[in-house]
Amino acid sequence: MMEFEVWAEKYRPKSLKEVINQKHVVERLKAFVKNKNIPHCMFAGPAGTGKTTCALAMASDLYGKYWKANVLETNASDERGIDIVRHKIKDFSRMKAIGNVPYKLVILDEADALTRDAQQALRRTMENFTRTARFVLICNYSSRIIDPIQSRAAIFRFRPLSEEHQKKYIDRIVKGEKLKISTSGIKAILNLAEGDLRRVANLLQASAGLKKNITEDVVYEAAARAKPRDVEEMLKLVMKGNFKDARKRLNDMILIQGLSAEDIIREIHSQIYKLDVPEEDKIKLIDMTGEYDFRISQGGSELLQLEALLAQFLMLSKK
Amino acid sequence: MIIMPWTEKYAPEKISEVVGQKKAVEKFLNWLRIWKPGKKAALLFGPTGVGKTCVVEALTKERDLEIIELNASDYRTASQIKEVIGQSMKQMSLFKKSKLFLIDEIDGLAGRVDRGGTTEIIKIIKESRHPIVLTANNPYNMKLRSLRSYCLLIKFGKVYYWDIIKRLDFICQKEDLKCDKEVLRQLAKRSAGDLRSAINDLESLAREKTEIKLDDLESLGMREKETSIFDALKMIFKTKTALAAKLSIQSVDKNFDEIFLWIEQNIINEYEKPEEIAKAYNMLSRADLFRQRIKIRQNWKFQKYMIDLMTGGVALSKKEMYRKFSRYEYPDKIKFLGRTKFKRKEDKEKLIKLSKNLHCSVKKVREEFLPYFKVLEW
Repeated sequence: MMEFEVWAEKYRPKSLKEVINQKHVVERLKAFVKNKNIPHCMFAGPAGTGKTTCALAMASDLYGKYWKANVLETNASDERGIDIVRHKIKDFSRMKAIGNVPYKLVILDEADALTRDAQQALRRTMENFTRTARFVLICNYSSRIIDPIQSRAAIFRFRPLSEEHQKKYIDRIVKGEKLKISTSGIKAILNLAEGDLRRVANLLQASAGLKKNITEDVVYEAAARAKPRDVEEMLKLVMKGNFKDARKRLNDMILIQGLSAEDIIREIHSQIYKLDVPEEDKIKLIDMTGEYDFRISQGGSELLQLEALLAQFLMLSKK
Repeated sequence: MIIMPWTEKYAPEKISEVVGQKKAVEKFLNWLRIWKPGKKAALLFGPTGVGKTCVVEALTKERDLEIIELNASDYRTASQIKEVIGQSMKQMSLFKKSKLFLIDEIDGLAGRVDRGGTTEIIKIIKESRHPIVLTANNPYNMKLRSLRSYCLLIKFGKVYYWDIIKRLDFICQKEDLKCDKEVLRQLAKRSAGDLRSAINDLESLAREKTEIKLDDLESLGMREKETSIFDALKMIFKTKTALAAKLSIQSVDKNFDEIFLWIEQNIINEYEKPEEIAKAYNMLSRADLFRQRIKIRQNWKFQKYMIDLMTGGVALSKKEMYRKFSRYEYPDKIKFLGRTKFKRKEDKEKLIKLSKNLHCSVKKVREEFLPYFKVLEW
């Protein structure tokens, strides 16, 4: 599975010089690198706007060939507990850096997934190890980071890329991969990507995999095929009164595909509005979805709680 | 033609055909090579069905030895042991064959009628002109204490999962039997390292068939052990009395978590009205919360609520008893989790690798990248 190249990675800027737009951010970061003085930073902004890219590019500009040894890249969404701060981050931070930069860099991606306790622990670590480590926290919503941390960091806001800048990125990939794409094809990509460059790259790659000549239709087909359908189909089944098969779908998603209940319930919630039921039933369903979501957050087991939620949908189905 | 059970039909003819147990076999052969009268006996020990007796029998076949066997079904008082072994142990065989004594399952000998048995065996070990092999499940049994110091202990471990599968596959080929690979995996897993039971299971599944499918396993999954859960389910789903439902699970030899799964699986096999299904699931959902509270806080006082809700709560979710025969099923979750364990682990490892390379979380890889990879059929 690892032999292929993922374009989103292949065309990720390796240096701050290559970063498209986000000028207000990049200029300041470049200055940090030039003076070899980086404060604790917080990058906030929507997905696919270059937060991780800027952090990695800055690290590579700063450390040159030593960057791997001096950078700890970790993702709070995968390890969100206090242990990661207490052990992994602390152990890394207390050791001296290699090369001519006196401190190391900790890039903490999706930092808004850290629990409150972990954030509190992080705050102390940031203070105690300032001499040997600097932190770059990356998040979608700065409001989910506790104030004491925010006040210790220089905050950078990343904006969704304008169409013009997205086109520049598309152009880079089209040239690099020698693709053929029509103007309407580009438009379709801009339409679907909503300023998210990761999605731009993925859409282009998926489209190119379908047809040599990328047109509007090809792009939409790629997008449609990529859209996860399972939740939608599961709800359709249960609303037809077919609980058995709906439950099978659910089992499949959780036990075989390994999806998390959080993702599934989010998708269920967004699908409720599209259901063919009376409006007041939609409100009832939303209320129930919220209740079972809460029960899961109270420690309820994911599969059982989702099954139970599905059974509540059954009650409002057409028999 | 005599029909032999497969465990005998496919017993190894040569030492080299013995499944697994390399180290033990080596040690055993070594012992035999340097054995002289007066030396220690060999005590082969290990769990049941892993090939202890098999090795001895394969050896005697391969080297054409005369085997004199005593096993658990024989009486083993001092005088009887003397009668069977005592005479022949000092003589050479009539046909100039070498002899070997096998005293099978000696831990079964302790205690019963076999008074003086161990003493007699020790005496024989000391005087015998032929090697003596003993087998046991647990050599550290108190009753065998005195015997142990006259024996070389040779340990037989459980047979490896893959070795069991290989052996079952071999038998299938010989028997011209088509068999789903997953069936073999499940059989191997069920056996927990007991090759003999795995072969017995395969044989019983194969009776009068040329092909075994995954569904056939279900007949095996529900041996007598699990009859009581069916009675409990029947009570819960048919009764309208909370107390009766609650009491029904008292004598089931499963823990509450597992009973929970059985109830969860079978609501839809009994109830038909959407309101009843929704209500029953809501009860389980609430019971589940109490279950988590027990787990998180180690607070067992919550258990009574959990049990009441999952039994009585589900029982009273129906308006009227269904006068029908319902077939209750084995829980999907247990089936699935066992079946997909390896695949899920593999997938997880792939995702982690990807997340490292793509500089984002596992969740992001799953949501943002995998759907597109699917389009590209990677």
